[in-house]
Amino acid sequence: MKDLFHRLDPEQTRREINEELRLHVDLLTEEHVQRSMSFEEAREAAFTRFGNIEQITDECAQIKRRQHPVVRALKLFLVLVFLSGVVIRIFATDYQVTHVGGVLMAVGLLGRLWLYVRGLVPSSFMSKSEESSPLRLRDEVQSLITVYDQKKHTPVERVIFRK
Amino acid sequence: MANTRTDLMQGTLELLILKTLSRGSMHGYGIAQRIHEAVDDVLRVEDGSLYPALYRMEERGWVASEWGVSENNRRARFYKLTKAGRKQLAGEQANWRRISEAVTRILQTA
Repeated sequence: MKDLFHRLDPEQTRREINEELRLHVDLLTEEHVQRSMSFEEAREAAFTRFGNIEQITDECAQIKRRQHPVVRALKLFLVLVFLSGVVIRIFATDYQVTHVGGVLMAVGLLGRLWLYVRGLVPSSFMSKSEESSPLRLRDEVQSLITVYDQKKHTPVERVIFRK
Repeated sequence: MANTRTDLMQGTLELLILKTLSRGSMHGYGIAQRIHEAVDDVLRVEDGSLYPALYRMEERGWVASEWGVSENNRRARFYKLTKAGRKQLAGEQANWRRISEAVTRILQTA
């Protein structure tokens, strides 16, 4: 029960995410200090390698909100509402009851749609810039595999255009 | 322009995390260290980007997490693969091999 209340508190969730991320930065700092860096240099290097901690905390908190017990219960409830609407529509003989089934189906469907749209991150509609890519080829490797000819074709494009 | 393309296939980071966690439960820093040890000469991973990926994977049920104590006696969240995660890893690995073989074949004929 205590755990449930913990999970319902958005501030507690944020604190826990922050604690987790801070531990990572602290361990990175320790790692750099062991390589004979000063503490300040190590801290700076750790933050550079980690990325924007506030932005990452926000992103994680947003994902956690989607896993919130109330949101999950609501999703399940809406699915049940939709299914009961389907069952009523199939088996009901009375026109009025069939109509209720249709309403239940619409409520379940629109509710799920609303939750889905609400959970979308606005930034996901935009294409990510090169810098925001979490995983990137190192520049020296990139130059090895991306060999362009005079027409600026990649090796794969050269094969396609040859045909 | 095109010669600055650096994006890798979507899902690559998830695949690396799944594979790393197949060795046992780990906290975020441990996962990052393993990935750096394995691919640091080729790929650059911003450590912080692991966490949104881990949280999304937890949401999908591929990993589970619980609080524990790290090697330096601090509270840390440990991640482990779930049954669904193992299944996902097997599928992703097979898919990755298929795609890389196909691309290699094309590159060899160029």
